[in-house]
Amino acid sequence: MLHFCQWLEKNSWIIALDSNVPLSLFFEIMHYSGFFLVVGTTVVMDLRVLGLAGVKESPSAIAEQLVPWMWTGLAMATLSGFFMFAADAADFYLAYTFRVKILIVVLAAILGAVVQRRTSRSSEALSVSAGAKVVAFISLILWIGAILASVEVPAISGVG
Amino acid sequence: MLSFFMVIAKWLQSTWWALDISGSTWAYPFVQATHFTGLSLWIGTNLSLDLRLMGVGRKHRTAAELSVATFWWNWLGLLIAITGGFMLFSSAATKYIPNPAFEIKLGIFVPLGIIVHIVNQQMAKSWGATPDTPAIAKFMGLVELLIWFAVITCAVSIPNFDTH
Repeated sequence: MLHFCQWLEKNSWIIALDSNVPLSLFFEIMHYSGFFLVVGTTVVMDLRVLGLAGVKESPSAIAEQLVPWMWTGLAMATLSGFFMFAADAADFYLAYTFRVKILIVVLAAILGAVVQRRTSRSSEALSVSAGAKVVAFISLILWIGAILASVEVPAISGVG
Repeated sequence: MLSFFMVIAKWLQSTWWALDISGSTWAYPFVQATHFTGLSLWIGTNLSLDLRLMGVGRKHRTAAELSVATFWWNWLGLLIAITGGFMLFSSAATKYIPNPAFEIKLGIFVPLGIIVHIVNQQMAKSWGATPDTPAIAKFMGLVELLIWFAVITCAVSIPNFDTH
């Protein structure tokens, strides 16, 4: 994996993209916007399942409006994040805080999909099962953990 | 005017909370995470409402329903973002004050974004009463969306203007 990361950061396309200042700025803006979109919409959906937001609407109604933006945000953050990662791939790969961040984001995205499935199955019912609430609570904690892990990458490892 | 703000900035930087944040390895990332958590709630819910007003995405539910459902967490997000942002600013206020990207972000785009958002959130009740939104709603949704992208652009540009 380290060899792949070293090859990636020496790739002429990646070097060209990284040395283009407006494009680097564009990737950074997309990464932050995508991250805010995925975290904001998922957190509101989790809060609805927990009965703490938009209680007059059914969880499936909230999910119907927010889920498309949750996945759009995740796609924006992942794609732009790859280009930000690629320029310093080996340093990121060796930074344990970065690995923790990726692990938390993957787990949070999986739980987001689980919450989405459970809410879409609940039809127009206003209440949800205790199991769905537990999953939503863990999802909420994981996304807050993902934010904390994201800011710890440069703070502890000095990369990014 | 700048010297007046610099006097306040120097005082802020000498407060106990600013010294605690700047003097600790752990405090700064935690405060930054608080700021980002608030921003995620605020920007995430704002963008989803703007896109709904623009008529993008699924149209079975109305923009009015989305606006009501996200209202309290939307504003709580801004409160958290401002609290975290103020603490981050306090820890290095004299560096932020002369930074043009910070000045444009906080002096122009953030107040403008909040005003446009209040208008959109209030008008969503009538503009978004039916699944199809009118042209003015689409236009205002786009305006707010562009303002928040401008805020993020200014925010990520702050380190590029850092002269210290």
